[in-house]
Amino acid sequence: MKPLNQKADRVLKAAAVDKMDEVRAMQTVTAGCATTFDPGWEVDPFGSVAALCQPMEADLYGCSDPCWWPAQVPDTMVTQPDWDANANSAARDWRALGTVFPGDSNT
Amino acid sequence: MKTFLTGLSLALAGALAPATGAEARDLLVTVARPDNLYVIDAASREVIKDCKIGSEHATPGITVMSPDGHVAYMLLDRWQNVVGVNIDTCERVFFARQSEDKVIRRSIASITVSRDGTRLYTVRNPVRHHADHYEVMEPEFAVFDTAAGLDAKPIAIHPAPRRSTLMAADDTGKVYIAGHDIYAVDPETGETGVAIANASWDRPTYSGPDVLAFWPIGTQNDEFMLLYSAAVFTDEKQEELADFVWGYETVDLKTGATEIKDFASFEVIMFSAVRNPNAPNELYGVYTQLSKHDVATGELVKRVDLPHTYYVINISSDGKEIYVGGTNDDIGVYDSTTLERIGEIRLPSGGDMSVSTLQIVQSE
Repeated sequence: MKPLNQKADRVLKAAAVDKMDEVRAMQTVTAGCATTFDPGWEVDPFGSVAALCQPMEADLYGCSDPCWWPAQVPDTMVTQPDWDANANSAARDWRALGTVFPGDSNT
Repeated sequence: MKTFLTGLSLALAGALAPATGAEARDLLVTVARPDNLYVIDAASREVIKDCKIGSEHATPGITVMSPDGHVAYMLLDRWQNVVGVNIDTCERVFFARQSEDKVIRRSIASITVSRDGTRLYTVRNPVRHHADHYEVMEPEFAVFDTAAGLDAKPIAIHPAPRRSTLMAADDTGKVYIAGHDIYAVDPETGETGVAIANASWDRPTYSGPDVLAFWPIGTQNDEFMLLYSAAVFTDEKQEELADFVWGYETVDLKTGATEIKDFASFEVIMFSAVRNPNAPNELYGVYTQLSKHDVATGELVKRVDLPHTYYVINISSDGKEIYVGGTNDDIGVYDSTTLERIGEIRLPSGGDMSVSTLQIVQSE
């Protein structure tokens, strides 16, 4: 048996440390901090782009700090806390912001 | 955050040192990456304190001030810990670690101080980390003694509304929480009622309100004010749109009186707003534009484009200057009459403010 996703991997690890009594079937648990899914940087409330934050770098940490759009920005509140470690200014240091992968996650 | 979102707005913090003499000056207080608390003389645009906070992470930098204006209480470390720093000395005077072991407690901008300065309140959202899943626990209204020092623990915990954001306290001792509605809480008993109906408002020709709330400002006009936007229909069948409006809902923190009122059509986004303490009909809102509204007449007085988006706004004690901050590393200064950009303050660290608060206090 080989786990196919992170949940299954967690279950195997739980079994290894005799924690199977804590294991729950995944159904409605939100796996992350965000419960909102706004349209994202593609569309503003008027169906266009003119009302999005200008420039997008002004808004980058405003999205990742509160875990606003998990689909587009790493969740620095819970799963990717070090994503911005070397970039205090999103506008100037964006090159230091890398791509994240599930294996990098804190959860 | 970006488009117009769901949340709740505005709070209070306490305010203004008893410095009302001719030498009283306005100080701006804000937090920026990587770990800096800045105190700025608003008139001279000079950074007069650059305090290293000693935080694990500067986010979110939601900040409320003690009523005497000397202590900045900040929500930091990825929305978990409360750090109090004396802005005169940069000394850390208060610390509350809200999370413990496997229970993580985050406060989503939910922090305020009592009007006598003796209590600090948070709403925190506990989640227990199990081996393979999270257990979402009941939200807590936590009461702290501000004199508890660097290992503060709650002296009382009450049930709290789920999905809470900003908070404010009034002179009667009530604590307001922005959530689905604007709740009023007795911090002694935890008894909670609705001060302003928000999601549950009885406006048959209106959609539900959409409210964004991250910035506990409003101290200059002594109010807990939130903006809302909503669709207005021609009749109760809600089939034909009549307008899309901005409105404000506010609690007077001296009396507890409340008001809710539309003031403009929805033409541009505004993330936060303040009213002029000397002319409360003047409301200033900020995002990618700076707008000045007359809420008495419903008139848009003036609107100007900004060099970039700003999240948070505040106003000088004489009502003559507007300050916009958050997002990047600069605070813009605007003339409240002409909305001309008359100054700029660059934060030395060059780090983003992101969603942190731009507070203002008076000091000698």
